[in-house]
Amino acid sequence: MSWGDGLAVLGGFFAGLLSGFVGIGGGSAFVPIMTVGFRFNQALAQGTSLAAIVPTALVGGITHIREGNVLLGPALWMGGGGAAGGVLGALLALYVPGPLLARVWGAFLLLTAFRLGQGVWRKRATNSGQPS
Amino acid sequence: MGGGFVMIPLQVLWAGVGQKNANANSLVAIIPIAIVALPVYYFLASRPQVDLHFALFLIIGSVVGAYAGARLLGRIPEREVTLVVVAVLLLVGLKEVISP
Repeated sequence: MSWGDGLAVLGGFFAGLLSGFVGIGGGSAFVPIMTVGFRFNQALAQGTSLAAIVPTALVGGITHIREGNVLLGPALWMGGGGAAGGVLGALLALYVPGPLLARVWGAFLLLTAFRLGQGVWRKRATNSGQPS
Repeated sequence: MGGGFVMIPLQVLWAGVGQKNANANSLVAIIPIAIVALPVYYFLASRPQVDLHFALFLIIGSVVGAYAGARLLGRIPEREVTLVVVAVLLLVGLKEVISP
């Protein structure tokens, strides 16, 4: 086991922590670990990331089910729909050149962050307005 | 990416699901999505792009992290969980816009 392998384990741990807590696959952490940290090219990083996501999501997902955090019905519906969409998405990613797609995606994420943040802000405003 | 960044806000903003349930549901839904997407990357790309050696060491760390993260979620208040989600969305969103 080399220093690189040790760093991969450490990076993997933090990516997994993020995955289990936030509920994402972990790809947005796995990919930069490889492209920035280890100079992988984008395609190799994405393929390797996807291979790492499967066991990570399995362990995180099963732990969530055991913890009682999961509404199984909606999760399975989303999983089914998402699997169909995932095939289309993977094909799209392979055949549409990246930068434009990435920028549109980034803008979507920023808008989403704004909307979720707004929700937290509103709740706080409502709570502080009520006698406790 | 497995679609978590779409499924989490979709549930919270449009379906009124609580933040913690939304995160957990998303991770469970990612399992079939990633299992289906993986062979597409393998067989429909010009050649398989996977470094199995590196993936193995990532996985050794990530499964431990995923277990810890999932256990941690139940112990943090809902509002703080949303703030973490917002921070992650901002970071990843900015990165994609500035350096796609």
